[in-house]
Amino acid sequence: MRRVLFCQEISKDYGSGNIVERVLKRVDLEFFEGQASVLIGPSGSGKTTLLSILGCLLAPSDGQLLIENSVVNFSDKSSLTEVRRQKLGFIFQHAQLLPFLSIEGNLALIGRNAGMSSEDIAQRLDSLLNRLEVFQMRKKFPNQLSGGQRQRVAIARALLHRPSIVLADEPTAALDWNTGRAVVELLLEQARIEKAVLVVVTHDTRMLPLFDRVLSIADGILTEQYQTAAIATTLITQS
Amino acid sequence: MESVVIPVSTKMLFHNRLRFAMTVVGIAIAFFLAAAQIGLLVGWVNTNSAIIKHANVDLWVMAKETRTLDYGTAIPRHRIQQVSSVEGVKWAEGMLVGWVNWQHPEGKRITVEVIGLDESNAGGPWAMGSGSVESVHLPETVVVDELSKEALGTLVVGDEAEMEGKRVIVGGFSQGVRTFTAAPFVFTSLENAIEYIPYYRDDEISYVLARIESNTDLIAVRDRIAAEVLDVEVLTTDKFAERSVKYWMLETGVGITVIITAVLGLLVGAVIMSQTLFAITQDHIANYATLLALGFHHKTLRQIVLAQSLSLGGLGIIVGLVLFVLACKASERSPIPLETTPLISLGLIVFSLLCCIGASWFSIRAIFKLDPVMVFHG
Repeated sequence: MRRVLFCQEISKDYGSGNIVERVLKRVDLEFFEGQASVLIGPSGSGKTTLLSILGCLLAPSDGQLLIENSVVNFSDKSSLTEVRRQKLGFIFQHAQLLPFLSIEGNLALIGRNAGMSSEDIAQRLDSLLNRLEVFQMRKKFPNQLSGGQRQRVAIARALLHRPSIVLADEPTAALDWNTGRAVVELLLEQARIEKAVLVVVTHDTRMLPLFDRVLSIADGILTEQYQTAAIATTLITQS
Repeated sequence: MESVVIPVSTKMLFHNRLRFAMTVVGIAIAFFLAAAQIGLLVGWVNTNSAIIKHANVDLWVMAKETRTLDYGTAIPRHRIQQVSSVEGVKWAEGMLVGWVNWQHPEGKRITVEVIGLDESNAGGPWAMGSGSVESVHLPETVVVDELSKEALGTLVVGDEAEMEGKRVIVGGFSQGVRTFTAAPFVFTSLENAIEYIPYYRDDEISYVLARIESNTDLIAVRDRIAAEVLDVEVLTTDKFAERSVKYWMLETGVGITVIITAVLGLLVGAVIMSQTLFAITQDHIANYATLLALGFHHKTLRQIVLAQSLSLGGLGIIVGLVLFVLACKASERSPIPLETTPLISLGLIVFSLLCCIGASWFSIRAIFKLDPVMVFHG
């Protein structure tokens, strides 16, 4: 499998002078095409910090991040924006759809920003909204949708421009268990179809068996990495 | 990528229509406030130089140190002939200005400013509502302005009153001859004026008004008059108007108050406009953070904010301008007119647009300080 994302000894400090807190400590991680990882850990363990670095939103204090074998230059804001624009898709806790645009408009905006043609956008939009079963909602505005529907739209938005990495921060936190599970299943399914690296932060341990790999973080240290039954089965079958 | 700027900026604005309308109204009122204050200032400036500018003469000859038309000092009447005889002068006439008491028919006494006109009525009213300006040459006859009807207690042509204890008959009503002071203008002939103004002798006037021959150098004629006629000062119409305006605006408390009010109006308008536009960006700050996180360049967001500021500002200015034009129309017949010139209007529009751009600069700064990581914290 092709390695898409590589964290090399990444650390992150907050504060300055004598008051410096290291919230992420020499994290080494590899992510492969189509691999779905879940990141768990208690509050303040460094999950969101790691996700922000993976999302090129926050610069690490030490170490480097490689996306498709290219080192990310965190000192160049413009190139960070380019990376986010082309290679990353985000799903936030509260979907964060733009309230002044229709569902269609929210998605098309991402496509246009990524430089996709109108035809490509229309085709992708129809296909994703159909697959996520929100096609009927495409003319509506975010406030006319339920929480689950909004997150499905957020998944479509994250995948529309065919990013190689999709990052999700607590995508089910605002949803009930059944809706949340359905959303995660859809997310996993679509990410696999798109062969995107998927990294999901969650507090909900009931979701863990759905993922290929579980990453556990505590006090800024990646303490545990193991493959779930799903991937083990796949690997056995492949061998 | 720029193709997202217009749809995002307009849809962001129109999404909350009430907020949009309130913002446009806010900017319109701010613009109107600034325009009205400036318009008041322009109206006052025009008013206190109106008689000078409407006299349709080239040169004004007066006693030295005369500061404004309203406070003319006596000069000998034969200065008219002296000025007429200067090379390059085509024509010269006298004018007399003085302050006297007017007895209102109901008993109260008010001060009026009498303007005594020579044969061609230079310096007289330029628009008549009723009657004729020529009537001032009839004995005891005056022309007053329609705006002063109530103040003077003379409502129709033929009405009578008293000035300095002597009878006056209203021969006509002028239109739009406003007084800058509280005292209404009363136009009459030089001969009549001498009768009413007790501190002028028969052989005295206040000004000599002169027109020059065509194709003659105005400044050269002015200098010749100054050299040949003793104890007078000679000013071109523009210079005398400017001096009059400066006197009232800069040397009297009322003028300074109007200027301060105009400047304050402009500043308050600018601040309201800037705050209103800044607030609308702050309303959408979370959406801007989302756009940043999703890979939108700062440049694109800057263009969105600028497009919003200019479209809101532009609409607000158009509405404010319409309100201002209506207010100008409504005040045309009032004692305190709102007036403007194309240059002042253009300057005000440019200033307002600059305020909008300034406001967007603050908004853009706020966006530049925005940390897209905040999207992960809800």
